[in-house]
Amino acid sequence: MNKRHDRPDKERVVVTGVGMATPLGTGREEFSRRLFQGESAVDVVQAFDTGGAASHLGAEVRGFEPREWISVKNLRRMDRLSMLTTASARLALSDAGITVKAENRDRVGILFGSAFGATDVTVQFEDALLAQGPGAVNPILVPNTVMNAPAGHASIELGFRGVNVTVTHFAVSAETAVAYAAFEIRRGTADVLLAGGADILSKFYYESLSRFRGLSPDDGGPEGAHPFDVRRNGYVAGEGCGLLCLESLSSARERGAKIYCEITGAGLGSSPAPPTAWPRDSKGFRRTFLRALDQARIEPPGVSAVMAAANGGRVLDAMEADAYEALFASCAGRPWVTSIKGALGESFSGGGIRACALALSVEKGCLPATVGLERPAAPLNFVVGKKVETDLKHTVLSGISFGGTYVCLVFGRCEP
Amino acid sequence: MHLTFEPVHFKAQKLKDRPAPHAESGKCMHRGKRIVVTGMGTKNAIGGNVSEFARSLRAGVCGISKIELFDTGEFRTHKGGQVKDFDPRRSIPEEFSLKRMSRADALAMAAALEAVTDAGLYPLPENIKENMGVAIGGGAGGLLEAESFYADLLRKGKGRSKYSRLSSLFCASSADRIASGLELSGPRTTFMTACSAGATALGYARDLILYGHAGMMLAGGVEPMCRLTYAAFNALKSVDEDVCRPFDKSRSGLSLGEASAVLVLEPLESAQNRGAKIYGELMGYGVTCDSFHMTAPDGQASGAARSMRAALADSGLTAEDIDYINAHGTATPINDSTETRAIKEVFGSRAYRIPVSSTKSMHAHTLGASGALEGIVSLLALAKGFVPPTIHWRERDPECDLDYVTEGARRADLRAVLSNSFAFGGNNTTVVFGRYEGQGAVHE
Repeated sequence: MNKRHDRPDKERVVVTGVGMATPLGTGREEFSRRLFQGESAVDVVQAFDTGGAASHLGAEVRGFEPREWISVKNLRRMDRLSMLTTASARLALSDAGITVKAENRDRVGILFGSAFGATDVTVQFEDALLAQGPGAVNPILVPNTVMNAPAGHASIELGFRGVNVTVTHFAVSAETAVAYAAFEIRRGTADVLLAGGADILSKFYYESLSRFRGLSPDDGGPEGAHPFDVRRNGYVAGEGCGLLCLESLSSARERGAKIYCEITGAGLGSSPAPPTAWPRDSKGFRRTFLRALDQARIEPPGVSAVMAAANGGRVLDAMEADAYEALFASCAGRPWVTSIKGALGESFSGGGIRACALALSVEKGCLPATVGLERPAAPLNFVVGKKVETDLKHTVLSGISFGGTYVCLVFGRCEP
Repeated sequence: MHLTFEPVHFKAQKLKDRPAPHAESGKCMHRGKRIVVTGMGTKNAIGGNVSEFARSLRAGVCGISKIELFDTGEFRTHKGGQVKDFDPRRSIPEEFSLKRMSRADALAMAAALEAVTDAGLYPLPENIKENMGVAIGGGAGGLLEAESFYADLLRKGKGRSKYSRLSSLFCASSADRIASGLELSGPRTTFMTACSAGATALGYARDLILYGHAGMMLAGGVEPMCRLTYAAFNALKSVDEDVCRPFDKSRSGLSLGEASAVLVLEPLESAQNRGAKIYGELMGYGVTCDSFHMTAPDGQASGAARSMRAALADSGLTAEDIDYINAHGTATPINDSTETRAIKEVFGSRAYRIPVSSTKSMHAHTLGASGALEGIVSLLALAKGFVPPTIHWRERDPECDLDYVTEGARRADLRAVLSNSFAFGGNNTTVVFGRYEGQGAVHE
């Protein structure tokens, strides 16, 4: 029997809303439609000139109209990262059917993750400071150079005053935020928490990624995003925001809210790795993955599907595939494995968007295909070509970062 | 040296007979676990290590002096609380590579090593490495170095610049360097709630242990001095040209500082089993948001008051149990009056009987590190039995009418200390520490 149901309903954490501004669209309907259709958002970057870099592809958020979601008064003070976040926050609350009012505003909050923050604002600030001196810097930019700006702006626009925390840890920033938000709901310090993350593309950031040799093509070959594929030669940079709306099962039931899934477990761990390098040995990741399963009180054979971290990078994808081969070696039926970074690129805090995608998957009983994967480099049960409809009882969102940090979350079908 | 010494007046406070919080009831035990602090490490403007820091806090030493890390010629102000004469190699043994470490990484690593050593855990046993994690409150990260890189890039062009110099730019680098350097396998998280980040890191680190995600945690914060931060606070006109004067009538802004502060957190049982010394207990914390303005506090002080109340509730304590408040006390006109108002709202008439001090008057405002640094201040106060002073205070402000300990440090027997950290973005965090009495207790 599944012992997690020993937990009282007020300590069970469920997802009741999703909100996103992504390269595959803004808002649940558009995002879900394009994601499950297997569309790719990877294209030549239009927002800035990539002439200074060796790569030219990206997955950009296009056609995003901030005025649709944010009041003009607050919009003036926001940078792009804060706009994507605030819009996603509004969408997630509205998807969950929650209105922030005087009675509940102290119990609604946000746990936000960003890998790199507002790199565009920091560069703008440094340009003024270093080229023209301290007198030239614009004070209105100041708060936006700090990574907690998006969560602060979202709270001002939407009026929520509860727990408000921003975390960063490179490629597991958003997964970390979701894990902590789940603790807070379980602990009862908030009734409703938005949780996820955002990052944006900007010229200097893109050029820097290119210099660190992570972007496709790292071998002078054709450029593209091919997670788990033998042809993979680096990732394509992406951007966007994804936020879940979390609350306790008892609160969701009381409101009669629609429940996408339950977050039944989280594992956080690390292994020593050189700074900025992806870990090669899968041991630390496997241990973290098992920690998450253990918290959800399931074993590897109980896993129906994995939303993988693979982005088309040589080292990351090989390590992750290795880990799944070892973890599921003794399982009769292997779980489905899919990565949506072939369609959305690697945005580092993309764990927020991926968490939304997994919540939608569990609700629909359907997994999106790994766009860009044609010739798998490992014998795993990949979702290739088109979506698969399947029963998703227990699924895992895998977060892996360069530097050797891991966060895994278990999303399960919410059963009574 | 630019340190100035102020006279010390120890005034014995009447010792209270009441026991340390929970010595009997154990009412704050979260899920059956109490989390204690068994090691501490810091680099800041008034202390190159914890014992020097404790001496300076008692003596009311001022660490705010002329900035030497970069040229402040074009700025409106020129002072700050800088970590003087910091040579990473002198604090970090040879077996740890310093390659591509930023000043922030090195400051954090030095504090982590001091804390682990202080806890009697260095070199770390394998079984502890496996379950030890790192939670760091970040600030400017490697921006000081990135600024030199960027200045070169603007001057010399892209082709000639080494982008590898950016590898420690982002704040998560410090936790990665500590965790990988010490070969730890537990959780790693970097908190970015600006000036409350260090405090937030302490709170969530406690939760990681309580919820079984880590056996022990290294938790703290780091903030390096850099041009962007200096320019930013100058542009907002929130820096005092001289030294900051918390709660003073003519206060005109903060003094910027830099620091690293790292604490070892572990369950009481584990500390007792290994015979560790115990500075005190991390009893609880609260996190709230103003939802008012990005850089100004809500004049109604709602966020700050709710944060203190949440921390008391989480600790299982009431206003009656708090014997010292380590204030956020930045010395900006608005912060100090708002914080005073919030303290009065939460503590009622008792507010006038609790000493409240801002140690930022000595070590300056260390932003992302401040919550953790002031966590060390709170634990030293509990363990060593004193209330650190607010220095540089001159004249009473009718809006700031509490006991700010302006005459110098005081001897005092404290049961519990509440430490406030409020930040841009309206992020408020309050942490409550309790005295520990029993096997291993550090008391003087």
